[in-house]
Amino acid sequence: MELTSTLSRDLVLEVSKNLGEPTWLLEQRLAAWETFAKLPYPTTRTEEWKYTDITEVPFEGLALEQPAGAPLRSREELPEAVQARIAQADLAGFAVFVGPDLVYAELPEELTRQGVVLTSLHQALRSHPEQVQAALFKAVNWSDLVGTQQNRPDNSKLPALNAALFTHGVFLYVPRGVEFSKPLGVFKYLEGGKLSAGRTLVVSGANSQAVYIEEYVSPAQVPASVNLSATEIVLDSGAKVRHAHVQTLGEGFYHFHRQRAHLGRDAALNDLVVNMGATISRADVQSQMLGAGSYSEMLGLYFTAGNQHVDHYTLQHHVADHAYSDVLYKGAAKDQSRTVYAGLIKLEPGAQKTDAYQTNRNLLLSPDARADSVPQLEIGANDVKCSHGSSTAPVDATQLFYLMSRGLPRHVGQQILVKAHLADVLRRIPLEALRAHIEGIIEEKVKL
Amino acid sequence: MANQLEIKNLYASIEGGEPILKGVNLVVPKGQVHAIMGPNGAGKSTLGKIIAGDPSYTIEKGEILVDGENILEMEPDERARKGLFLAFQYPVEVPGVTNANFLRLALQAKKGGEVGVMEFYNKLQKALEVLEWDESILTRYLNDGFSGGEKKRNEILQLMVLEPTYAIMDETDSGLDIDALKVVAKGVNAMRGPDFGALVITHYQRLLNYIVPDVVHVMVDGRIVTSGGPELALKLEAEGYEWVKELVVAGS
Repeated sequence: MELTSTLSRDLVLEVSKNLGEPTWLLEQRLAAWETFAKLPYPTTRTEEWKYTDITEVPFEGLALEQPAGAPLRSREELPEAVQARIAQADLAGFAVFVGPDLVYAELPEELTRQGVVLTSLHQALRSHPEQVQAALFKAVNWSDLVGTQQNRPDNSKLPALNAALFTHGVFLYVPRGVEFSKPLGVFKYLEGGKLSAGRTLVVSGANSQAVYIEEYVSPAQVPASVNLSATEIVLDSGAKVRHAHVQTLGEGFYHFHRQRAHLGRDAALNDLVVNMGATISRADVQSQMLGAGSYSEMLGLYFTAGNQHVDHYTLQHHVADHAYSDVLYKGAAKDQSRTVYAGLIKLEPGAQKTDAYQTNRNLLLSPDARADSVPQLEIGANDVKCSHGSSTAPVDATQLFYLMSRGLPRHVGQQILVKAHLADVLRRIPLEALRAHIEGIIEEKVKL
Repeated sequence: MANQLEIKNLYASIEGGEPILKGVNLVVPKGQVHAIMGPNGAGKSTLGKIIAGDPSYTIEKGEILVDGENILEMEPDERARKGLFLAFQYPVEVPGVTNANFLRLALQAKKGGEVGVMEFYNKLQKALEVLEWDESILTRYLNDGFSGGEKKRNEILQLMVLEPTYAIMDETDSGLDIDALKVVAKGVNAMRGPDFGALVITHYQRLLNYIVPDVVHVMVDGRIVTSGGPELALKLEAEGYEWVKELVVAGS
């Protein structure tokens, strides 16, 4: 039986019209729609999706979550889960989306005065049209696959869907030379039951310095829901960006994230992906070292329980010379949950004097948990330093015995060992409030 | 019997392997320090680990009674809350949790509730003083990157903070130089009193110069073959273990 799809070309037209978008954007959306309509969904026969079966995900069975044009709210009216996070997050400024609607924002005047913008993408289309048009879809789009993903165009299916039908977005703009080290944050609160699609565009000017955290929050349990997110980070020469994507969505969510950073000359990205929630989540995180001397640290943390499934893909694409990239993804799995990691270091012929490292380590807390790990190298240059490695192991029985012999109950011992396993990633997060938040999630999850 | 740690006719093997303990009988009354000496492979360390509840051993027969209560079915954490403590021969490194946090968690687990910050720090201060140790050790991760000597000293710090009723010291002297040995002994001696019993497992007599035992037991091939006063340790030091091995042959 062929089910009617909730998605159509007409819906693309409707979304763009309702948002009052310029023609160039509608044209891009339609081009993305053509690609989406043409491509099959990735299956487990697609190498990059080998361990993640998405046949049950109702991409075309849910209504698209459209803006309600909700008026701006006061801080007290924000969802409780978001208020709690704001109170703990130690941010310089923040914006809150409920569904596709930007409902609240607070940005320190000092940053505004220097030209820093943190707003919705559609507001930015009016206030900063050139900056948006110059950067949107440049890093994450519906073609331009790199490395092994090139062999299978279906890797573009979900990014194409996002590009065709995204209903909202975040725009963070940091002008040349402007620096701030206390994070700006965006909270996306999703009520669930719909198909949500949003984008984030970070544009950091030459020699600027920015810290940005994006968190995805929902009720603990939701009916089947899909979230498609796409994050583009453009770093001009000498720009430094610290970015974190923190996903704590509830059970019932299917979360698909595609992210790509373009790094200019001597630019530096410190990236962190935290995947703790959702029923199935996949984060595809890419850094392209386009400028010589660029630097990309890519950290990942995940901890799954119950029947959760989390999948990470990383790409370190070295185009320019003298660049450095380091992937460290670590996770733990309990109950019957599964984790997947696949990563590629790809060096173009011009990428001499590259340093590129890739490590994935997994801890299994139960005999029914499973972790698959596929590190890969594709080296087209000869004067380089590269290494990759992965491991998967159960909890060390001697360590657990040691902790329990001091009176700690089994779950507390396991909690400590999960933190110990993740310690070298946690240690590399200098944002104390964020680190404490992640540790709190780990503690709660071990007790479940 | 209350007021003692009692091991009755204990038989045990490594999971799916050779028998290691072959009928151990031993009583450590509260208020006393007993030593177990013996050649390598006699089963001394195994006994210590089994008392603490190491899951890698299978108990075939026998009982371990803490103040009259059989603990063999209990998980290691429950045994600890009953007052048992094992100072590990090879303490485990756990990065990610600081020494101070770990000690506080363990103390709370033992007391079954919150422990006041002042009370906790007073205890720590006292112990650090005895162990001639700097406070900086508290903010380091648990045994992470510690030298062999630091690890052993950290076991004694835990002992002093957690104040168990019965402590088993598993080759706490191994790998220590004489100064470190003296400090460790000082810690154990500080615990001595009517409410504390200890079983000190050692291969060498040296430690017993500093922790003078009330009773010395000699273990060979999974059994206690003879017991005596502190002079027994001196005899073993002077004459080696050959004569006790002959006792075993004669007895079997």
